[in-house]
Amino acid sequence: MKQVVIPGELLSEERKKLGTNVYVFDGKIYSRVLGITDNEKEMAEVVALQGMYIPKREDTVVGIVNRVVFAGYGIDINSFADSFIPKKIMRNELKLGDIIIAKVENVNELKEADLSFPRKMGGGEVIEIIPVRSPRLIGKNGSMLDVLTNGTSCEIFIGKNGRVWARDGNITLLKKAVQFIEENSYKDNLTNAVEELLKEKK
Amino acid sequence: MRSTILESEIQKVIALAREEKRIDGRKLDEMREIKIETGMSENAEGSTIVTLGKTKVIAGLKMDIGTPYPDNQDEGSISIGAENLPLAHADYESGRPGNDEVELARVVDRAIRESKAIDFKKLCIIEGEKVWIGYLDFYTLNGDGNLFDAGSIASLITFNNAKMPKLDSENKIILHEYSGKLKLSRQPLLTTFVKVGGKILLDPTFIEEKSAEARFSVGTTEDGFISAMQKGIGGSFTFEEINKMIEIAFKNSEKIRKQIAKI
Amino acid sequence: MKNEKKVDYKKDKKRLDGRKMDELRPIKIDVGVIPNADGSAYLEWGQNKVYAAVYGPREALPKHSADPLKAVVKVEYRMTSFSVPQRKRPGPNRRDQEISKVLGEALAKTIFVEQFPNTEIGVYVEVVDSNAGSRVACLTAASCALADAGIPMRDMVSATGIGKAFNELVVDLNKDEEDAPDAVDIPIGILPNSEEIVLLQLDGLLTIKEWEQVSKMGVKSCKNVYEIQKQALKKKFELGDAGKKIVELKEDKTVKKKVKK
Repeated sequence: MKQVVIPGELLSEERKKLGTNVYVFDGKIYSRVLGITDNEKEMAEVVALQGMYIPKREDTVVGIVNRVVFAGYGIDINSFADSFIPKKIMRNELKLGDIIIAKVENVNELKEADLSFPRKMGGGEVIEIIPVRSPRLIGKNGSMLDVLTNGTSCEIFIGKNGRVWARDGNITLLKKAVQFIEENSYKDNLTNAVEELLKEKK
Repeated sequence: MRSTILESEIQKVIALAREEKRIDGRKLDEMREIKIETGMSENAEGSTIVTLGKTKVIAGLKMDIGTPYPDNQDEGSISIGAENLPLAHADYESGRPGNDEVELARVVDRAIRESKAIDFKKLCIIEGEKVWIGYLDFYTLNGDGNLFDAGSIASLITFNNAKMPKLDSENKIILHEYSGKLKLSRQPLLTTFVKVGGKILLDPTFIEEKSAEARFSVGTTEDGFISAMQKGIGGSFTFEEINKMIEIAFKNSEKIRKQIAKI
Repeated sequence: MKNEKKVDYKKDKKRLDGRKMDELRPIKIDVGVIPNADGSAYLEWGQNKVYAAVYGPREALPKHSADPLKAVVKVEYRMTSFSVPQRKRPGPNRRDQEISKVLGEALAKTIFVEQFPNTEIGVYVEVVDSNAGSRVACLTAASCALADAGIPMRDMVSATGIGKAFNELVVDLNKDEEDAPDAVDIPIGILPNSEEIVLLQLDGLLTIKEWEQVSKMGVKSCKNVYEIQKQALKKKFELGDAGKKIVELKEDKTVKKKVKK
């Protein structure tokens, strides 16, 4: 059964495979965070409900140009440290406020992210949500993203860092749907509910 | 110093303002929703939480006994302090109140003091020896701009509802016993504007304040007086703009007074 | 104390405010009350009212305060000027500084600080009304705010005051009891799973035997506090069908339309 757990809450007294956000003490498995767990699953894991973005290798993120200096650009990726992109790896020139999409190539010991394959997004808007809830915007095999794209006709890109970039289509409706998903990320039947919501408001 | 505001966000606010639009969809002269709670702090002689949009402040009053100023032997006094708590915004720092907080407290203080809403002669206990001093301090619990108006509303309500401590035969305060209330003869309120992209915005949010070229606050009373004015930040206003803001301030504060009267 | 009658809890079997010897004052917790913060909580504990907010993990400032091996947990405990019967002067005093330090050390033990080297986790607690026990109220609220911020922790920190007043050992002393001639005040904070003690202070005179009793009462009361924390954190997230929410939205709309007519 799915349930909400708090940090330090006992998940299992038996040995289990260990997933994310858990720790073992004295042979028992506990949660590290406030989140959702499913005790019927083979693996002991907790999906965090709250928390800021901590960069990880291979994450794709939506960044905003926050600083322009001689050698390159300071990029805000919604983390506690800006990333830096040298001018020489960008094909186009960037200006303050430009939106880019990039991959986290590496994270150093200061949790600063090196970005690779930066791509400038022309126009569009950024919607921000609680970063740990952003996987629900994509859904299983991209099912939620399909629903959002079909329902709003927007071109959508979802970053792991709690940022959604969108262009064209009904952005106001998309914002409503994204907010709904953020507020209900831990509930069942979310994809159906969003489909319903998009039909209703169209 | 921390700054969690992106430069590009500021540019966006300015560009929108030029088209007479705001990032939260409000009209230029539209105030955010105000919520009021009172009496949460039992140790205070009066206390109020005002929520203005996402801005939230708590004000509390302690009445204390002091000696009068040499030139006003038969008058008590008030003292207003303001603090932006580091719990209220990622950019607020701990430590002694900075220049911004001192200005904030002084403008809120002036709007009330200079309106003569509180009769300082009535705060006299023994002429030349003992007078009441009303220490009102307000603290920002969540900072999203326009602390001037939020602080002013919270301060006024706190004074309105303040209980006066009881004195013993030696004129010392008896803790937790009260007799009567502090009476206000006027209801002065501040109204604050900023100029962004050449346009005048009422009740600015945090990001709008960061985007502003100039700020203006005016204290008004229900009977047509101006009790305080303060122009802040670099930048300037024309007389025409000032007059327009004063006109809006009188109208807008009247709405808030109605809401306050319902408490 | 202006009690003319001699108060003796051993004889009276009841406390001045009517509580049983092992009874906590009513506690109420709401999480997520400060929108700007990464996590926050508001807690009422009897007359005590406190706000707690967490910012971080974020860049440690000033830079030299950073620790390359772990996050620095910075706690600031403050009281508003009007939160006490006699006005408190603005600015931190020595008591505030000491409490900030011990609260920070209590929380650092439970946070997986190694996960965030070179950063700072700022925890700010503000007392807006008080009546004995504000530090344990703040520690309890701060731990809820940390959980609300999604900070990984071994366990919650649950705290309470235990002590002695009017010739008897009691749980959660109020101000009148703190002012008793034989008062002993012992703030205790524990990690409920392991029962490890992370906050412990004592003011007053106590026998070893009494201490043994106190420690048992402390664990039991802290676990009661823990249950309240747990409920407060969970009530924010009601599991179930997301579709229900849409039905509620629709119903709301019809109500509004009716009012307009």
